[in-house]
Amino acid sequence: MMLTCKEFDDFMVDYLGDGLPVWQKYMCWLHVKMCRECAHFVREYKRTIDLGKAAFDDQGDQVPDSVPEELIRAALAHRKNN
Amino acid sequence: MALTRELSAETRQVNGENTSRVVVSAAADKELVDSLRRGEEASYESLVRSFGPQVLAITRRYLKSEADAADCFQETFIAVFKGIDTYAGQSSLRQWVRGIAINQSLMALRKRKRAREESIEHMMPLFDDSGSRVESAGEHQRSSIEAEIDTASLKVSVRQGIDKLPDDFRVVLLLRDIDGLNTRETAAILGIELNAVKTRLHRARTALRYILQPVFGASKS
Ligand SMILES: [Zn+2]
Repeated sequence: MMLTCKEFDDFMVDYLGDGLPVWQKYMCWLHVKMCRECAHFVREYKRTIDLGKAAFDDQGDQVPDSVPEELIRAALAHRKNN
Repeated sequence: MALTRELSAETRQVNGENTSRVVVSAAADKELVDSLRRGEEASYESLVRSFGPQVLAITRRYLKSEADAADCFQETFIAVFKGIDTYAGQSSLRQWVRGIAINQSLMALRKRKRAREESIEHMMPLFDDSGSRVESAGEHQRSSIEAEIDTASLKVSVRQGIDKLPDDFRVVLLLRDIDGLNTRETAAILGIELNAVKTRLHRARTALRYILQPVFGASKS
């Protein structure tokens, strides 16, 4: 008995995150194998996750090389005043 | 100064820390924490300079507005200075400071008056009465963001896409997919049920996928 697309969609987070019992995982896997639409959806969904991670890669351009000097001074001044 | 050198070495590390570096980091953490607890002025500055870039990146990520991020940067270091006696060394100092920065950002988000947010309902997939996928939502929407595919502009497009999500969904996506918290940790930090985390995460990823359709379209051709 195959899962419907809607049922598969409800399992998606657990399916991709190893949070499913083996049998349910197998049912999801089978659905993706048999359903072109869901296979396409899963491909883009996974790519979305990867793009999100890459966009905030901490070693990339998201960590500023240096913090504006006034911010550092303000943080240190705050401490002295508190 | 040796301590600063060791800390900046740690700043450059990504994944797969080797054992010797972990030992060096742990030693540097201990030295820094001890001097902070002794109230040595130079150690406060060393802490802010070493961890400041990471803290600022986090506060900018969660708060979007530069002014809010700057305020939260201050709040984070005030909390770090006040809480240094409670640091038990179970995680690295960097991880501990990172946790405080995330917490402070979430507190600031809660306090902030919410801007009107667009619903993401139309970005969800459609199913017919038998539960079959009718179409992947968003396949016909191709024009809301630039479809350039070079790495830098792609990153900008993705960050802008995430920023478009309503806060309830955006924050769960950031905590789970970007900051790497698990479902249980995310539920605890937000005070919501495990299932709510999963539902919000799924809807956030699905909506982001919809927003990124121009990127997928461009990379297919
Ligand atoms: Zn399907």
